[in-house]
Amino acid sequence: MIEFQHVFKSYGRGRNILADVNFRIQPGEFVFVSGPSGAGKSTLLKLIGGLEPPSRGATLVNGHRSDRMPARARPYLRRAVGVILQDMHLLYDRNAIQNVLLPLAVAGHAPGQSLSRARAAMEKVGLSGKEDLNPIEMSGGEQQRLAIARAIVNRPSILIADEPTANLDEDSARRIMDVFRDFNRVGVTTLIASHDRSLMASYATRTMRIEGGRFTDIPGAG
Amino acid sequence: MKRWLNQHRYALGVAVRRLLTQPFSSLCNMLVISLSLAVPIVVAAVLDTAQPVVRQIPVSAEVTLYLDLASPPGTASRLGAELRQRHSNDIESIEVIDRDQALAELRSRPAWSDALAVLPDNPLPDAIVITLRQHPEIAQTTTQLSAEWKQLDGVDTVQVDSTWVQRLQALLDFLSIGLWILALGVAIVVLATVFNTVRLQALTQREEIAIARLVGATESFVRRPFLYLGAMTGLISSGLAVVAAWAALQPLNTAINRLASSYGTELSLRLPDSVSLLLAGMVVAILGALSARWSVNRNTRF
Repeated sequence: MIEFQHVFKSYGRGRNILADVNFRIQPGEFVFVSGPSGAGKSTLLKLIGGLEPPSRGATLVNGHRSDRMPARARPYLRRAVGVILQDMHLLYDRNAIQNVLLPLAVAGHAPGQSLSRARAAMEKVGLSGKEDLNPIEMSGGEQQRLAIARAIVNRPSILIADEPTANLDEDSARRIMDVFRDFNRVGVTTLIASHDRSLMASYATRTMRIEGGRFTDIPGAG
Repeated sequence: MKRWLNQHRYALGVAVRRLLTQPFSSLCNMLVISLSLAVPIVVAAVLDTAQPVVRQIPVSAEVTLYLDLASPPGTASRLGAELRQRHSNDIESIEVIDRDQALAELRSRPAWSDALAVLPDNPLPDAIVITLRQHPEIAQTTTQLSAEWKQLDGVDTVQVDSTWVQRLQALLDFLSIGLWILALGVAIVVLATVFNTVRLQALTQREEIAIARLVGATESFVRRPFLYLGAMTGLISSGLAVVAAWAALQPLNTAINRLASSYGTELSLRLPDSVSLLLAGMVVAILGALSARWSVNRNTRF
């Protein structure tokens, strides 16, 4: 479960990116976060993923007050939340499977067990047989799927993705969304920041619109 | 525990990979450290070899007074007693060697007996061998007393027998202090070199560190490969330093053996014992890891 109570976020003395945000997302929901560029979608996802703390208010992730969490405890929260950022953040000096192995190494899994889990994750996102490729040799859609494989390999209970289909053609975008839907069907709470209305119409069960730092909850398609 | 071990194994692998991906740069850093480390090892080898030799030589100052050949009999005993009374604080012992006694002793040696047989009379003077008490300013006292005794009636020559040993000992003491200062300087070289290596590594691994944090890496996880890198740099450099010091000792040994054989003795410079070298290597490895920790803490705040 994810819950925000009167959450504000600003950088320095600048204006509030998020202002008095309140919402609750139940386990297993599939939620789109929509809104114009610069509205605060990415900031919201970073707050959920524990990548940044809120300026004010309470943020609860999986029952833990992440806003009150000491810095040394936040990494453990991040392991429970699979994060896919807009620019994917892949390691281009390693091959695909080594990218997927990183979260398992971070969690301290044994190499043999890690390898089979990483292969399984790549298979789930349709990248079987591409383990030895360098990410740079992959298409944009494949790189996005590789980022998803890395995000899900530690079996997170929450998956958040920031504009995962940006810069992809329609077919690739739908394949990516199908991957997210499949994970959601097995109980993974999924949040996707996007401004692609056609995708929202096809996949969303709930859409939260953010504009001017404030939220409007729209049940069903955006 | 198993997870912790897995994380360490991973960190060690990452550190080895980082060393191997930039072999020339890594080797250059290690060479800088190892050459700096080789200097104190060579100095330690010199001290290790020289100190026992010097300790075996009697270091108490001995002053021998040779009297005029024309001195009447009994002068040596009288002068000896007078000096013992006058300088009782400085004198440890006095031995009076009568010229006839000295001649008899020499005649008992086969090498000298033939030569002495052809001499018309005894060429040896009476002698007084004075051993001075040990104290820190012994060299100064020896110089002062020997100058004073040279002015005494009946004294022909004054010979100071062991000042050079004391001076050599003082020089070795100076070198020992110098070795510690040198070791401190080398420690700073190790710290600075590893700090800079890790700083550059941290900058090039910026993306990897950011991604590791994104997927839940703790700061310990981020730091660990750098600590291994620092420790390995220190350990490998120590090994190279021992090899370099050993190589440097070979030509030095040839030269020192030539010198020692001219004194009818054998002397060779040896590396400090393996336990000391191993301990020193471990200290350098720990220094490397500490420096790496300091550097990674400062350079991964992003």
